[in-house]
Amino acid sequence: MKVAYAISGIGHAAVLVWSVWSLAAKPLPVLPGDALPVDIVSVSDFTQMTAGNLSAPKSETPKPLVEKVAEAKPVEDVTAKIDEKKEVKAAREPPPAPEAKPAETKPVESKPEKKAEPKSDPIADALAKEETKKPEPKKAEAKPPAPKKPAPPAPKFDPNQVQALLNKQTATRVAAAGETLNSAPALGTPKGHAAQISLSELDALRQRLAQLWTPPAGAKDPQEIVVQVRILLKPDGTLAAPPMATNSGRSALFMAARDSAMRAVIRGAPYDMLRPETYEQWKDIEITFDPREMLRGY
Amino acid sequence: MTNRLSLSRRRLIMLGATATAAGALAGLWPRRTGAALKLDVTQGNIQPIPIAIPDFVGVATRDPALGRNVSQIIASNLQRSGLFAPIDQAAYIERIASIDQTPRFADWKQINAQALVAGRVSQADGRVAAAFRLWDVFAGQQLHGQQFTTTAENWRRVAHIISDAIYERLTGEKGYFDSRVVFVDESGPKERRIKRLAVMDQDGANVRYLTRGDDLVLTPRFSSAPDTITYMSYGQGDPKVYLMNIETGQREIVSNFPGMSFSPRFSPDGQRVIFSLQRGGNSNLFVMDLRSKATTRLTDTQVIDTAPSYSPDGARISFESDRGGKQQIYVMAAGGGDAQRISFGDGSYSTPVWSPRGDLIAFTKQTQGRFAIGIMRTDGTGERILTEGYHNEGPTWSPNGRVIMFFRDPGGNGGPSLYTVDVTGRNEQPLRTPSYASDPAWSPLLQ
Repeated sequence: MKVAYAISGIGHAAVLVWSVWSLAAKPLPVLPGDALPVDIVSVSDFTQMTAGNLSAPKSETPKPLVEKVAEAKPVEDVTAKIDEKKEVKAAREPPPAPEAKPAETKPVESKPEKKAEPKSDPIADALAKEETKKPEPKKAEAKPPAPKKPAPPAPKFDPNQVQALLNKQTATRVAAAGETLNSAPALGTPKGHAAQISLSELDALRQRLAQLWTPPAGAKDPQEIVVQVRILLKPDGTLAAPPMATNSGRSALFMAARDSAMRAVIRGAPYDMLRPETYEQWKDIEITFDPREMLRGY
Repeated sequence: MTNRLSLSRRRLIMLGATATAAGALAGLWPRRTGAALKLDVTQGNIQPIPIAIPDFVGVATRDPALGRNVSQIIASNLQRSGLFAPIDQAAYIERIASIDQTPRFADWKQINAQALVAGRVSQADGRVAAAFRLWDVFAGQQLHGQQFTTTAENWRRVAHIISDAIYERLTGEKGYFDSRVVFVDESGPKERRIKRLAVMDQDGANVRYLTRGDDLVLTPRFSSAPDTITYMSYGQGDPKVYLMNIETGQREIVSNFPGMSFSPRFSPDGQRVIFSLQRGGNSNLFVMDLRSKATTRLTDTQVIDTAPSYSPDGARISFESDRGGKQQIYVMAAGGGDAQRISFGDGSYSTPVWSPRGDLIAFTKQTQGRFAIGIMRTDGTGERILTEGYHNEGPTWSPNGRVIMFFRDPGGNGGPSLYTVDVTGRNEQPLRTPSYASDPAWSPLLQ
C-alpha cells in the first residue's frame, strides 16, 4: 500500500515537473512579414472604377452577349431585334445565276418577252398569271402565251393571303446563345459613368479661342470688355445654335468686345479637340473672355 | 355704362390672351440654366482685323473712279490705324453690285475677311451721297449702316466719316479720321528755313498754308472748335500768342504783356487760353479769359514753369517745371495751388500733353542726349516709352486718345518730319508732308 502511494506520488511529481518545464510560457517569435502595398482610394474613385464605362473602348476579347444558354453561336449584330421566327425560304428555287457565257445571249434575243421575267417574284408571278387568263388582242403578234409559261408550278395566288407574300426577305437575328447568361453588352454597364473631360481638352479649347480672339486693345475702361458667351455644341463639335452673350453692356466698347468674342467662337468651330465620349459635359459651355490681365499697361 | 363695361371686359380678355401668349412664349424659350462647363479665356491675340473693302458702287458719278477712291481712302485710313488689315482686292471672289443685297458670306469667309464694307456713292447736282453697310462675315449679320450727303468737294470727308463709323463699331472707340492737323511747314535750306503754318487732313491730304512765312511761327494748338487755333509768332520784337480762324484766316493777338509769352493752349471749353510768360530769368503760368480778357496768374515761382495742358474736364493742369532741379512734370488744380510732381524717372521730362480721353499724359523725355516720346498715367504710374531716337518732340493726341503724332528730326542737313504712333507703341508710321514739317497739333473731330 505504501509502495503504491510512493509510486503514485513519484508519478504525480514527475508529471508536475515535466509540465512545469515543458508548458512554461515562452515568448512567441514574430517573423517580419512582407510589406503589403496599400493604395488609398476614395469612395468616389472606387465607384467610378467599378461602375464600368458606358463608352469604354472595345476590349480585345469582349465577353459575348448571351441571352440563351446553349451552344455558342456567333451573333453578327447585337443591336438588331430578336426574332423567334425561322428564316423563311423562298417558295421557288432561286433564279439561275446569270452566266457570263456569250452563248447565253442567243436564246434571250430569240425570246425578248421572256427576258423580262427570270425572277421568282411571287407578286410578279401572280400578276403574270392573271395576265395569262385575259386574252389580249393587242399581243396577237406575240407568241401564244401558253407555250411561254408551261413550267411554273407557281403557288396559287390567293388575294386573301397577300400577307404571305410580305416580309419574307427580312433578315432577322436569332437569340444570342452561350454557356452562361450575360445580359450586358461588353462596352460597359447601364449604370456606367461617362468619361470625364480632360484638362488637356480644356486647354486645347482655350488655346484655340485665345488664338482667334482679338480683344479691343488700348481701351480706357477694360472692365467694360469682359464678355460672357454661352455656346451650345453638337457632338461633332460644331455650334448647335448661334452663340449668345450672357452679360450685357451698352457702350460701343462692350459691343465691339462682344462681337470680337463672338467672331472667335464662330471661327473656332468645329471644336474637334473635344472627344465625343465627353459630349455630355461640353455640350453647353459658358466662356468668359476677360482681357484685363492681358491688356494691363496698355 | 354697359358699353364701357363690355369694352373693358373685351380689353380684359385681350389682356388675358396676351398674357397667355406671353406665358406660352416664355415656356417655349429655353430655360436659362447654368451651363455645364465654364471656361475663362484671359489671353487673346492682338492682331489687325482682316477687313474687305470692295470699291463703292458708283451711281451716276461724274468721276467714274469716285467709288474706288472712297474705298481706297477708307482702306488706307484703317490700315494706318494698325488695328485693321484690309485685304487685297485681287483676292475678292464676290463682286458687290448692290449694297441692298446680302453678300455671299461664304465667299468672304474663304478669303478670311472678318468684316466687309459694301458701299455706294451717287452724285446729283453738285452733291455727293454715300451709303454703306458694315457686315460681320462670320456671324452673317449687319453691324452698321449709314448714309451721308455732302458737297462734291467734300467727298474725302465722307470717306473719313465712314472710316470713323467702321472704326468705332469694330473697336468700340471713337474714330479720329475726320480730323485735321495743323503744323509748321519748313522749306528752304537749313540756314534760311522758311516756316509757315499749314493745315491738312489727318492723312496728309488737302494741305493749305495759313501764313506766308514772314514771321517765325511755333507751337500751333487747336481749340475745342476745330476751326480755331492759337500759336506763337515772333514778329518784330517779343514773341506773341495769336488766335486764328483757319477758315477765314482772321487772326488776333491774345496777350500783349511785357515779356515773352510761350506755349499757349486752349482750355477744353475753348473759353480760355493758358500760357507761360517769361520775365527775367523765370517763367510762370497765366490763364486768360478770351471774352473778358482778364488774366489770372496761376504760379508765382522763381523757376521756369511752362508747357501747361488742361485735363479734358478742365479741372487740372499738367505742366513742366524745374523747381525740383531738373525739368519734371507736375499736376495741379486748374485754379492754381499746390502742384504735385508725377514724373520720377531718369532724365528730364517736358511738354506734358493730357490725352483727350483723360487717362494718360504724353511727354517728351530726354535722357543721355536722346529724346523719347512716352506716356504715363495721370498719377505718374505706368510710364511707357513709345519711340526713342536722336530727336523726337512735340507729342499731340488724336481726338480719341489712341494715337500720338510727333515730329522727328534725324539731325544733319535734313529736316524734321511727322510720325504717328499708337499708345500701345506698336504701330509707328511716317506721315507724308510736302516738305519738312514740325510742331503738329491734332484737331478735335470735325463737326
